[in-house]
Amino acid sequence: MFGLMEADFLDDVRRMNKRQLYYQVLNFGMIVSSALMIWKGLMVVTGSESPIVVVLSGSMEPAFHRGDLLFLTNHREEPIRVGEIVVFKVEGRDIPIVHRVLKVHEKEDGTVRFLTKGDNNSVDDRGLYAPGQLWLEKKDVVGRARGFVPYVGIVTILMNDYPKFKYAILACLGLFVLLHRE
Amino acid sequence: MASKKTGLMDKWKAEDKPVKIDKWDCSALKNALDDAAKSYEKNQYTVMTENFGFKEEHRLMDLRLLICTVAVGFSLFALVWDYIRPFPESRPILIICVLSYFMLMGVLTLYTTYMEQNIFLVASDKDKAGLEPDDKWELASTLKKYTHLYKLKMTFTNGKTGLSRSEEIERPVNNYFDEDGTLLFKLFEPEVRTLQGRIAAASKKE
Repeated sequence: MFGLMEADFLDDVRRMNKRQLYYQVLNFGMIVSSALMIWKGLMVVTGSESPIVVVLSGSMEPAFHRGDLLFLTNHREEPIRVGEIVVFKVEGRDIPIVHRVLKVHEKEDGTVRFLTKGDNNSVDDRGLYAPGQLWLEKKDVVGRARGFVPYVGIVTILMNDYPKFKYAILACLGLFVLLHRE
Repeated sequence: MASKKTGLMDKWKAEDKPVKIDKWDCSALKNALDDAAKSYEKNQYTVMTENFGFKEEHRLMDLRLLICTVAVGFSLFALVWDYIRPFPESRPILIICVLSYFMLMGVLTLYTTYMEQNIFLVASDKDKAGLEPDDKWELASTLKKYTHLYKLKMTFTNGKTGLSRSEEIERPVNNYFDEDGTLLFKLFEPEVRTLQGRIAAASKKE
């Protein structure tokens, strides 16, 4: 046990004093925090709880392919229109779905109900919704697609498909930041 | 060190181990030399002037640690708050946290560039009688990227007169490391000593 603690790559850390050790941890914290705050900042600006999503299925081909990165906005005041591409959540499903709006019903009191369909699917999405659900409502919407970058998100897909690979990379990066002095 | 403690922390410390680093890593080179200069200053004072209080001042670094801690605190709070009150509801708090965080990052940048500069040791030399204000020693260093020149600047501020005097040396780092990247403290120490000697001699003339 102590043999490992004497290893050369730990020398840097072993020579640090209390303040330097704490700063090392803070440094790691700030890297994570910066990423988090950029994400939260994007949430605030776009109004969407998940401003960037990756397309996981081929159901919107040829518009979007697996691995495309989508930028979303979800401003309250913009109405949902037929033909728009929305990202929505369905109860009981973890992963949001990216599909096109097919039909919209708007009422005087402002409530909206709409139906979606994937461009590459032969039927509408009623089969995908929660049992008994026929329409989507405004609260189901995560955002509307405003821009995309092709194929960049394939890294995310790979990471999700091989979780061990993901954790290994994260652990390596984390250790490097913690053990390496500035 | 007067008392020989053998706690886990002391065992963990690598003080007796020769400092060996990756010699192609600029920041490792700089850190090794900074630490050596620091320990020289400290040792010299504990050995030569035991009666005087030579105290390392941590205020400069503590303030940086405080700024970082508050910044990370804001982001942690945002994370927790967003978890308790999911997004649209948490928006105002998120705005506050995000703005404060990035403002603090700006403050941190300004602080490290203008206040901390490259100072890695501030030490006060207490007046024996305790009447005069403390004398102050500062050590600062730079090792620019893609150069091999290590610049060490020592500043002494007389507590009584408020006059300060600084001397600096600029030497290639390869003077102080061997082929394997082991720090040669015996070659480095005299450089720091002459630096200090020059300041001491100059201050005496005044």
